[in-house]
Amino acid sequence: MRPTVSVFGGHLPGDSVWHRAGVGWKYLVVLALTLPALCVQQPWLTATGLVAVVGCLALCRLPARAMFAIPVALLVLLLVLGVFQLVVGRPDLAFVVPGNVLLAVWAARLIIVTTPASVLVDALVAAADRVPFVDGERFGLAVGIMLRSVPFLSGAFYDVRDAARARGLERHWVARLTPVVVRAVGFAQATGDALAARGLAEGRPSAPHPRV
Amino acid sequence: MIRLSDVGVRVPVAGPPGSKVLLDHVDLRLAEHRIALVGANGSGKSTLLRLLNGLIVPTSGRVEVDGHDTRTESAAVRRRVGFTFTDPLSQLVLPTPLDDVELSLRARVRDRGERRRLALDWLDRYGLAAVAEQSIYDLSGGERQLAALVSVLAVEPSTLVCDEPTTLLDLRNRNLVSQVLSALPHQVIVATHDLALAGQCERVLLIDAGRVCADGAPAEVLDRYRELMA
Repeated sequence: MRPTVSVFGGHLPGDSVWHRAGVGWKYLVVLALTLPALCVQQPWLTATGLVAVVGCLALCRLPARAMFAIPVALLVLLLVLGVFQLVVGRPDLAFVVPGNVLLAVWAARLIIVTTPASVLVDALVAAADRVPFVDGERFGLAVGIMLRSVPFLSGAFYDVRDAARARGLERHWVARLTPVVVRAVGFAQATGDALAARGLAEGRPSAPHPRV
Repeated sequence: MIRLSDVGVRVPVAGPPGSKVLLDHVDLRLAEHRIALVGANGSGKSTLLRLLNGLIVPTSGRVEVDGHDTRTESAAVRRRVGFTFTDPLSQLVLPTPLDDVELSLRARVRDRGERRRLALDWLDRYGLAAVAEQSIYDLSGGERQLAALVSVLAVEPSTLVCDEPTTLLDLRNRNLVSQVLSALPHQVIVATHDLALAGQCERVLLIDAGRVCADGAPAEVLDRYRELMA
């Protein structure tokens, strides 16, 4: 399986002000950067948010590619969102909607790139434990696994695309999507088994079943 | 000590006869320090290994680890029996080896700093300190397999079950993982196609069509395996 650049990036060690900041502060900054633009939906707020998040990412003193790279699939999505807004007669939103998506992705990178996954999980567990009826350990673990799964699933998409191309099936969407879904289910089963084998996320042992 | 008593495993399949037998009438007592399982693909090796950690329960019969039934005492069984998968990417569930080993330690060590120190210590013991914070996708095959092994060892099981740990590795990494496994103080039960690795064990089980068809010293069982595969 070919891993790809994750939309959200992965932790990169460093000693910048962002690396040293507490994870709680990082969450607050990310909310302050994104919420106004997402709630008010004004071009000037989106532009301000983008400028601010670019400034914050630059402070991380990490390679620009790791901070600002936009995967092709996301780029296509942003273009589709912008064109759609133009087509439906909302040129103001043609900048705001894709701009806000990019703002949210870059703001998420600000936390993810500067914080080890275990610290993120600890912070989420501590926060979720205060919410009634929520199992903080499971919530934090689920988010940690989600971060690790994004590159796997996008890699599976590209592998299957290449396999479909090799057989001349590049325009056959069923041939391109079905194996990705099957791999995703297999990956979920394997991850569940790996957690169970270590006694994490303890559940009842399963009856034998055919595996994907 | 692990005991399997008249164990059978069946899975439902579409169409007649409605189920497929993966293991049939398996009676074993596994007490040796090093045990290998050999057999063709689909013979039932992985199913037998999964029973030992309680990942699956038998359709008939029972499996006990130090007297704990895998059907009713799975938590106690998994504290005693660690499991490594063929593909370490299936096993490493967090983005870096350090995160993953820390995850294994979460149940026992609540303090974050202490947990991190212990995780680094575990990785250092197996020469992985330098790659502790690298993405698991950037590690070599051998480093990934070792990281997966360390993440299981950090749970401190008394028995380690390995499902084809060297299958995806080149010769150098295969030798490295074999050396690490042979140096462990744990009981190690390994399913493998690597006959050199099987030959280092005290006892070898040959599985064929869901049954144990040979059980004994490596030389005689591996000869039988070669005859079967010819």
